Amino acid sequence: MSSKRSAEGNAESSSAAKRARRDNDEEDYSVMGNEDDAIPPSPPDTSLVPRGATINFSALTRKLAEARRSKETEPGNLSSLEAHRRQQDSLVSHIFMDQDFSWLHLKPDHASRPLWISPEDGHIILEAFSPIAEQAQDFLTAISEPVSRPAFIHEYKLTSYSLYAAVSVGLQTEDIIEVLNRLSKVPVPESITSFIRERTLSYGKVKLVLKHNKYFVESSHPETLQLLLKDKIIREARLITAQTDNSIKAATFTTSKAPVKGNLTIPGTKESEKHKDGPMNGRPDPATTRSATDAELFTSVVGVESDEIDEDDENVHAFEINDAKIDDVKRRCNELEYPMLEEYDFRNDTVNANLDIDLKPATVIRPYQETSLSKMFGNGRARSGIIVLPCGAGKTLVGITAACTIKKSCLVLCTSSVSVMQWKQQFMLWSNVTDRQIAIFTADQKEKFAGESGIVVSTYSMVANTHNRSHESKKMMEFLTSREWGFILLDEVHVVPAAMFRRVVTTIKAHSKLGLTATLVREDDKIADLNYMIGPKLYEANWMDLAAKGHIANVQCAEVWCPMTPEFYREYLREQSRKRMLLYCMNPNKFQACQFLIKYHEDRGDKVIVFSDNVFALEAYAKRLGKPFIHGGTGQVERMRVLSFFQHDPKVNTIFLSKVGDTSIDLPEATCLIQISSHFGSRRQEAQRLGRILRAKRRNDEGFNAFFYSLVSKDTQEMFYSTKRQQFLIDQGYAFKVITHLDGLENLPDLVYRTRDEQIELLQSVLLANESEADPGTDVRAGEGDLAGTITSKDFGTLKFPAAQRTTGSLTALSGAQHMSYVEQNKAANKNLARSEPAPRHKLFMKREKEKAAARKAGRS
Amino acid sequence: MRAIRGVLLTCDPAVKQILLTMNEKESFIIEDLDDHHLVIKADEEYRVRKELEAELEKNTYSLET
Repeated sequence: MSSKRSAEGNAESSSAAKRARRDNDEEDYSVMGNEDDAIPPSPPDTSLVPRGATINFSALTRKLAEARRSKETEPGNLSSLEAHRRQQDSLVSHIFMDQDFSWLHLKPDHASRPLWISPEDGHIILEAFSPIAEQAQDFLTAISEPVSRPAFIHEYKLTSYSLYAAVSVGLQTEDIIEVLNRLSKVPVPESITSFIRERTLSYGKVKLVLKHNKYFVESSHPETLQLLLKDKIIREARLITAQTDNSIKAATFTTSKAPVKGNLTIPGTKESEKHKDGPMNGRPDPATTRSATDAELFTSVVGVESDEIDEDDENVHAFEINDAKIDDVKRRCNELEYPMLEEYDFRNDTVNANLDIDLKPATVIRPYQETSLSKMFGNGRARSGIIVLPCGAGKTLVGITAACTIKKSCLVLCTSSVSVMQWKQQFMLWSNVTDRQIAIFTADQKEKFAGESGIVVSTYSMVANTHNRSHESKKMMEFLTSREWGFILLDEVHVVPAAMFRRVVTTIKAHSKLGLTATLVREDDKIADLNYMIGPKLYEANWMDLAAKGHIANVQCAEVWCPMTPEFYREYLREQSRKRMLLYCMNPNKFQACQFLIKYHEDRGDKVIVFSDNVFALEAYAKRLGKPFIHGGTGQVERMRVLSFFQHDPKVNTIFLSKVGDTSIDLPEATCLIQISSHFGSRRQEAQRLGRILRAKRRNDEGFNAFFYSLVSKDTQEMFYSTKRQQFLIDQGYAFKVITHLDGLENLPDLVYRTRDEQIELLQSVLLANESEADPGTDVRAGEGDLAGTITSKDFGTLKFPAAQRTTGSLTALSGAQHMSYVEQNKAANKNLARSEPAPRHKLFMKREKEKAAARKAGRS
Repeated sequence: MRAIRGVLLTCDPAVKQILLTMNEKESFIIEDLDDHHLVIKADEEYRVRKELEAELEKNTYSLET
């Protein structure tokens, strides 16, 4: 750190150091450097220094001192500060090669400014410990995309899409640049300002508005519209209305006052509770009230509200275009680099019938849900876009609130038929929608809502499917495509294949689209497609922030390294890849670590879930450790029994779950999670599993921590996958501790596989296992209409009929007459749980009850 | 009497297993002492270390930049 420090041309410290340096030698200087390290060094320099590049500090200072001595003899007209900086530059700059940004001179008061911008790729580094970091963060989330947000240094990135999103929430180009300049340690580089200008100039200046069921191209900049009209395709698509005369001017536009946010309130917010009469009354946004104190400094930081008013005072110009040519116009506008923003003026839509739904009065939405929705309904219209919230932070409620705000027919698409049922249930729970207004379209149920408007919940594949459909689904599809939808809600947008998505978006006519997801990451890089098809990312919650405010649980993450035993590792090195997985899952040391952690957390009073993708390993662990388990092959009744025991019985504190538990089982009791095998390097699965404990019931207890352990066999591929899986959570600010040794493991009584003989026996059973057993997630299969790879609780209860078996033997043996008896030694713990059905009543009482009922019946009639 | 110059390697059990597999391809181990110790041919040491490094590197994930 001290070496990095020396590279910095720090104004205050070097001027202070100057005095001290004059009579002291370089050792004092290095002490000074160390003192400075008490405050963390500014991010620009840390980011520039490659970790490997260590500067020989003493040599450097000696050289510097020498140079200074020679310099001091000759009278220079440079101030000594400048001279000092120059020497430093020439000494250090070659280390950074083309990453040398020392020509970007720091502002004199840079220490109080929290961010630095890379002139090359638009990455923004923010000091999250700065006193004004919170305001800066609000601003940065509005204009850029978060890349990584650990505790102290955050990284953001300026992209075309993020700037597009910034403009779409009403920020103006010059404000963006000005605020950036105010927050930045260095003057905002020319390359960045021109990038921002270029992007914001074209993006979001043109809007496509559906008004009275006619498409209008709208802009507050008439010159932009004129520019567009010079294009042939767009000119042809234009519908010229009677009162417009276009004789002299190239174009006259219908001009109208832009809509103000006015009296639109998002239901569930505090505002709607104490609804005031003044129509122009802006919502008391927490950001604005908070920043009122800092108003002198940051008048325009996150000035979403105030900027809008500026914008709304201007007139809006528009021309109408032909419905049929809307696609051509859209495409053309993209080519011209004037992509059209789609907004839905739902309050003035008189053509589509209103849907009379509202949130139930008792429903109150949380502040961050409110913020995300205010981004969507910023100017009284509905914008299309994506909202990113962590698992368990109430995505469903955001979707429902949005639907209740728009109050038009609504189509909800989700990934599986089980989540279809969940969405319907949630709609019934939070809003006053009636049973008749909400319909379901799945493989099993094809309903239409009664009345003119309503809600349809379906899956992506049901809607996107194009070939051989049943008569009923065909009719249902006609129903869906024939009408205009006010709002389309897309759940878990990140999993939908792009082609399927495009089909959905083109076949269904919807005014506004909202995508919901927890993890906007994919292992293939198709995320950019979503930006294009749905809209920009409107809001992304900061996980750490939500955890700090108690909306989601605080989680301690740890990676436990379990060394492979020599025998297992020997076989691991010799096996082919599929079987390898089984070997590192079944590693006896992992077994022991798992047993130890379960014991430790059960003693603390935690409820533990153990996840294993691999069913073979799952059963082996659960049976050996005597714990109940659930996987795809577990029957419905047994599953319910196990779950209810886990929830209510203080004696059952641990369950083992396979992949089926990733999404569909909601267990708010769980406070500790152990992962013994997982689906390779899937970052999404890791985040989803963490989501299982984020909604822990006890999260608001003081000092409560949930635990997330990932057991990893050392020196195997698992190490690689494990690190990869963690990347998403690390970017969200989670830190994984590495545990190399569990203290007290050896002293655990009845530790499994303690002796080498037992371990070798285990190894034998693993080697004998079928190769197919090694595949993860073999126990689940998708139902019709579900997206491939989604897991639903519907997958349960599939009875596996074994194929016919032929055996030869004597009749005595087959009839069991050979004095053989069998005992199941290692029973599944599921079977030991008491049956929950009450014992049948005695015949006598049953008879009596029957007689009583008959008598009552007779008495009534 | 023939003498071979050897080097004593101290390693953890997992690395020893990797070395044993490598030994099957091209023999370099003189004596397998116990779980943590091996004696290998001195002139093979450099090659062995390099190959081992490469083998272990396979399990490390690094952010591609």
